[in-house]
Amino acid sequence: MKRKITELVLILVFYLLQVSIGRVIAIGGIVPNFLIILPVVFGFLNGRNEGMFVGFFSGVMYDLYSTNLFGFSALVFIYAGFIAGFFYEKYEKYEILIPVAMVFVSDFIYGFLGYIGNFLLHNRLNAGFFISRIIMPEVVYTCICTFILYKGLEYLNDKLNIVNKKKRGVNYDEGNI
Amino acid sequence: MRKKLESFLTSKYILIGLTVICLFFIGTSFFTDSLTKPLQTAISYVVVPLQKGMNNIGLWISDKIDNMQEISDVLAKNEELQSQVDALTEENNLLKQDTYELDRLRKLYALDNQYSQYNKVGANVIGISSDNWYSSLTLDKGSNDGISVDMNVVASGGLVGIITEVGPNYSIVKTIVEDKSYVSGMIIDNNQTCMVEGDVELMDTGKVHLNHFSASTTVRDGDKIVTSNISDKYLQGILIGYASEVSPDSNNLTQSGYLIPAVDFNNLQEVLIITDLKTTT
Repeated sequence: MKRKITELVLILVFYLLQVSIGRVIAIGGIVPNFLIILPVVFGFLNGRNEGMFVGFFSGVMYDLYSTNLFGFSALVFIYAGFIAGFFYEKYEKYEILIPVAMVFVSDFIYGFLGYIGNFLLHNRLNAGFFISRIIMPEVVYTCICTFILYKGLEYLNDKLNIVNKKKRGVNYDEGNI
Repeated sequence: MRKKLESFLTSKYILIGLTVICLFFIGTSFFTDSLTKPLQTAISYVVVPLQKGMNNIGLWISDKIDNMQEISDVLAKNEELQSQVDALTEENNLLKQDTYELDRLRKLYALDNQYSQYNKVGANVIGISSDNWYSSLTLDKGSNDGISVDMNVVASGGLVGIITEVGPNYSIVKTIVEDKSYVSGMIIDNNQTCMVEGDVELMDTGKVHLNHFSASTTVRDGDKIVTSNISDKYLQGILIGYASEVSPDSNNLTQSGYLIPAVDFNNLQEVLIITDLKTTT
């Protein structure tokens, strides 16, 4: 429960980073996609279910005040968290390149699907421009942010795990007595 | 092994369930926003105050950084400007005499300034759209302050956009530089109408498209484009920007080119919302 609440607060903080501080740290009008980092990292650290949970709520948050279709980002983020969950416990947690690579792939796919929905279907065929000017800069910027934020998220995750284990330990002891 | 299989199945069912929920949301958002509206309103009570705070912190930091950079520039400029002030004071005196004359003539012709007759409310920009495709702005005034959808938003003498969404304590502006934004405009001198169309592909140039001038119109670079009288949402006579590079299209019936907006969209902090709505009968 504590874990879920912490994750929801984290989603809120990342959303605020994106829409408020994003204006200050934007490079060439491009703001990194902070919210896609969360499902991927939590999926990688805690498995599929956690990734899907975080993906759903961060996706809903992402869509809530945007002009996009409501639910589209949530759908993509759920799958990002689910697929990241396949790598759960397959790699050591300090292998930072694995989550960064997953963020790279998910954000690119998310950006490209967004391009298809928003522009390609409206006969805007200049895919080269959209990929090189909007999608790729966002992906690269997001990966850099993942590099910076991953250690913090991993630390927070470990903290939450310890809290859970302690609780369980106490319960087992009581049962034995 | 069995446990592993079970956990895979449950997560698979969760995935299918969530996918169905999302698809349901997507499907309904084509037709109505009544599902998302209560959620937006509820979350805005948490998000908007935080956003205001974060925004102030961000502005404070960027202000401090800017100050550092600018202080050396400012000192050099100060001397240069002091000499200009002297020259301008002289000129100002001459102009004041002309202003008296102008005022008198204005009264004579019963002309009044279009802009000042609209009621305006100030608002702060507290957020941007979460994606990079669009550039809508979030303002800190909402329906509690008497804001409603379709109100025009101006800043520093030019049109910023139009309000497309309103919550109790926030509102969202669709800007004119944003993709899929269409504003009906006209040349201020001769009332020739045109369309101002935002395009994300022009984001590096800071311009927007200016289309559908009739072929017989002469458009010079720097002609003022204002909102037109035939628009049903934009009030008449608000400055949008200046025409540039208008040339005939290949069909020889229309002309098109670019428009340089009067507003600097990069550093927009405060805007004015015109609370008068254009009433169409």
